[in-house]
Amino acid sequence: MTAQAGAAAGGPGQSSAAAGGPGQFSAAAGGPGQFSAAAGGPGQSSAGARRRIRLDSRLRATARGEWIKFRSVRSGPFALAATALTVVVGAWLLGAANRGSYLAASPAGRAAFDPVFTVLQGIELAQLFVAALGVTTVTGEYTSGLIRGTFMATPQRAQVLAMRALVFAAVVWACCTAMSFAAFFLGQGVLSPARHAGIGDPGVLRAVFGAGLYLTLVGLLAMFTGVLVRRTPAALAAVFGLMAVLPIALILFKGKLASQLGEYLPGNAGEQAFHLLPGGAYTLGPWPGLGVLAAYVAVAAAAAFALILRRDA
Amino acid sequence: MSQTMGAPGTGAAGNAPPAAYRRAGAALATEWIKLRSLRSMLLTPLLGAVAFTVLADGQARNNGANWPHLDAGQKARFDPLVINFNFVIIGILLFGVLGALVATNEYGSGLIRTTLAATPQRGLLLAAKAALAGLVSFALAVVITFTVFLTGQAILSGAHAPHVSLGDHHVLLHLLGNVYYMTAAGLIGLFTGVLVRGAAAAILSMFGLLLVLPLLADKITPDALTRHTVPYLPTNLGDEMLHHHTGLSPGVAVAGLAAWVLVLAAVAAFSLRGRDA
Repeated sequence: MTAQAGAAAGGPGQSSAAAGGPGQFSAAAGGPGQFSAAAGGPGQSSAGARRRIRLDSRLRATARGEWIKFRSVRSGPFALAATALTVVVGAWLLGAANRGSYLAASPAGRAAFDPVFTVLQGIELAQLFVAALGVTTVTGEYTSGLIRGTFMATPQRAQVLAMRALVFAAVVWACCTAMSFAAFFLGQGVLSPARHAGIGDPGVLRAVFGAGLYLTLVGLLAMFTGVLVRRTPAALAAVFGLMAVLPIALILFKGKLASQLGEYLPGNAGEQAFHLLPGGAYTLGPWPGLGVLAAYVAVAAAAAFALILRRDA
Repeated sequence: MSQTMGAPGTGAAGNAPPAAYRRAGAALATEWIKLRSLRSMLLTPLLGAVAFTVLADGQARNNGANWPHLDAGQKARFDPLVINFNFVIIGILLFGVLGALVATNEYGSGLIRTTLAATPQRGLLLAAKAALAGLVSFALAVVITFTVFLTGQAILSGAHAPHVSLGDHHVLLHLLGNVYYMTAAGLIGLFTGVLVRGAAAAILSMFGLLLVLPLLADKITPDALTRHTVPYLPTNLGDEMLHHHTGLSPGVAVAGLAAWVLVLAAVAAFSLRGRDA
């Protein structure tokens, strides 16, 4: 009798799960529904089909939940607006300041002048906003205790983390790529009498897209660090230390070891992505540089996925 | 009968507002308890101080080993005090972030509501917080500055590179200037924390203001605007304590740092008195 009731309840639940209605919650919770399916003979035949629907509808529901959390917390749009403001206003200031110095520079100085990196350097400040956003996206939920509700609704923690990373990466990538294009066009316009680049010039599209990818990867690194550390101040200190303090610390040390270590720091390596010319102290190249940064993200992600499954929330 | 009449009388006397100095003493006592009983406030400064000293000593060792390879011009520019404190900006960051956390921890845990209920005199509360945070910053700054100086100069001397001692011309003054700089950074952090309340926003502000902004400003070629603003960033003012590079006089630098602290204190007090907790 109980099994029949469970199967009967499972029927409508299934259809409403596909429609994305209230049934999603019970499908995601997976508790009583599963139990009755296992107990009842007739339930077993439809179990395979039901599980398949469950996975993709659960992922969709999780993604939607993560999106709601992302956009409804005030700090999300605020951090992205601050990033955009820093990058775009920075491009204007850096373009205006470097126009004069380019015209006054020696031929050697002019040859080494990188019109794209020069105007996109505001990213060095803006990456702190993206990193803070990445960290608080996770730690904010631990601080408020919402994480317990999240995991109760979706006990598949790896899927929660994957969807969160996906939503975060998609939003940050779209915003940061748009703002790096805006900064590029504004900066080149301001640089104008001095050497400037057109969007069709070799390597320019790669550099402008590279800036958006760089910020996205920095945000993801911060997000996974947030999963590992869970406390806002500690996670922020770790990420900012890695991105902003260590490069300075290494630059002050002389010798081969320091420069080789500096080459493989996430910020120094990843920054190559929006250099037009190979220049500065580090010369890994755009794609290998971005690859090094991506490797840091991959390691942090692997540790985050391993820990989020093991630890109590 | 007279006793029952007397009881409300003493009660009324007990309810009279306490003398100002007693209230200030109580505010200081509670702030001290909050400051010392927070485990992270004990561990983080300690770890930070050790890390900073290790970095500075590594820097001294690195430069000492490099000394024989320098050319004459580089040897002439070799300043043992500046090399010793190459990492001062990282120490400054430590002070700024810790100062900010003193304030934001209380907002994060919600304790601030209890605190304000117990001491509704918000100006007095902020003054007590600032006094203690300033004192602790000062003590930590003295320990860090002199440890770094003594160990760093010993390392330089061991490497047969130029070094200075406490008795040398103006050395003590430079070191005291550095203590002042670090203390000011702690207070700047505290008042920023009171202003923005959130840990993430406060830490972000500290890294932005103390570390990244001056670095980016250095990349902009000086023009009329930057010449009159960039030297007045707190870290550029503070760098004057150890060496001259912006052309401001040390007196202006000391006054400028004090102005940062006082203006932020005024804004923080205004905000604390005017806003709901």
